[in-house]
Amino acid sequence: MLTSYWPVSDSVRFPTFKNYLLVLAANAVVAVALNADSLPGLSALSDSLVRESAIDFVNTTTSPGLEGATLTVDDGNRQSEQWRSSLGFAAEFTIKNHIYNGYWGLAVVGGSLNDKLELTGESGQPLKLDITRDVMSLRGSFGLSYPMTQHFKLRPYLSLSVSDLQTESLVDGLLTTAPSGNAETTAVFNTSAQMLSTTGSVDALYSRWYGNNRLELSAHYHLIYTDAFSEDNPVLETEAWNDVLQLKSRYSGPTSLTSMGRPWRWQVYANHINFLSQDNLSLGYTGLFEFGVGMEWQMNIKPLDWFGWQMLGLKAGVITSSNVEGYFMGLTAR
Amino acid sequence: MKLRILMFICSSILLYACVQSPGFKGDGYAFIRSNYPIVKANGEEVEPLYKLDIESGKNTLVIVYNTYRHDYYCRFGWTAEADTVYEVTDQENSYPLTLHRWVRTNSLWASRLDPMEPLECIKKPRRGNTADDSST
Repeated sequence: MLTSYWPVSDSVRFPTFKNYLLVLAANAVVAVALNADSLPGLSALSDSLVRESAIDFVNTTTSPGLEGATLTVDDGNRQSEQWRSSLGFAAEFTIKNHIYNGYWGLAVVGGSLNDKLELTGESGQPLKLDITRDVMSLRGSFGLSYPMTQHFKLRPYLSLSVSDLQTESLVDGLLTTAPSGNAETTAVFNTSAQMLSTTGSVDALYSRWYGNNRLELSAHYHLIYTDAFSEDNPVLETEAWNDVLQLKSRYSGPTSLTSMGRPWRWQVYANHINFLSQDNLSLGYTGLFEFGVGMEWQMNIKPLDWFGWQMLGLKAGVITSSNVEGYFMGLTAR
Repeated sequence: MKLRILMFICSSILLYACVQSPGFKGDGYAFIRSNYPIVKANGEEVEPLYKLDIESGKNTLVIVYNTYRHDYYCRFGWTAEADTVYEVTDQENSYPLTLHRWVRTNSLWASRLDPMEPLECIKKPRRGNTADDSST
């Protein structure tokens, strides 16, 4: 437990300047770790939950298959704002003399979370916790694609990602004593962690044409192993297994619009993402529904003469779930 | 030192990556490349090929799109222009394969133009499967 690293009670008993710093640090670590032993009455927020919330934030931002989003969570005691965005590309490539194809992808992903919680301290006093997390991640994927029929294929692949997580935690309401003897109620602590994630994924993809219109249905399962390292927060020296399920559908059709001789297609889509292993306390949600519309331009180029880049699209959608509202608006490429 | 190595690697990739148009066999010839094997050219069966020099004018090729349950024998018929590159690939269109005219745009990318569907695709079961033949 964190108390073995930060002797809170001794520091309070001997309020020297050094010990005052320790108190601040200890309180800040409490803010990061929300150690139940340090703050009786906060047993719902254990070290493990704090670890999970950090890892879940990274997973809900950087997992393969996720697109950009801006989310707002409001469930009374918790208000949070989260966004994620990615710049990347994934494509299949032919392996001659074999039925299966290769699959690769590269992406840079970024995201941020501002999580505000209202809690109750050991003596019944209200505590406000304000956590800001920022993550930047680089992800590479490689795998195979097995066409079972013209309409259905299975695609297992492996992704490796490296993430840098920066966290600023502010706790308001913990009473501490400053060297001057004044009571302090606010503490701020900055920590960082690096996370190495290995994700095994299986995609099941179905598509069928109805005249000039196309229906696409897919299911994506991701099993994620995360190894986290932190020099300044022992709570985040950890590892975890998580899994995510995505169900996606899209219906598209032709338009009469062209740009540079290339046609545009309209699309509507509906997706569901379920972070299967995620605790609702961690980020305030475990699943999301997304509905939207968009336009895709069939640019059909072959960068470096290596791989096909068929579509450049504009998409806008709304995201919803219990206590969650959000939206997505941006560019897509495939 | 690391920066130099990185610059060297990036420069090498860029040089290697330059898009180059393939050469032609001679006057009056076009070139086709396919991500899937060409098994019949102008009525004659050929060893599975992924590149082929073709004479300009009317051409008919049969190219196989393989899946684990079926093979799709797609027959393309079109009038090839001399000194032109064609490319057949899977673009998940209504037919399994699509024929494009391939044009070098610049050293960084090529364009796939004038998509053309096959005249027909005959679906045949792979060995061990019992599905009936049919066209798509």
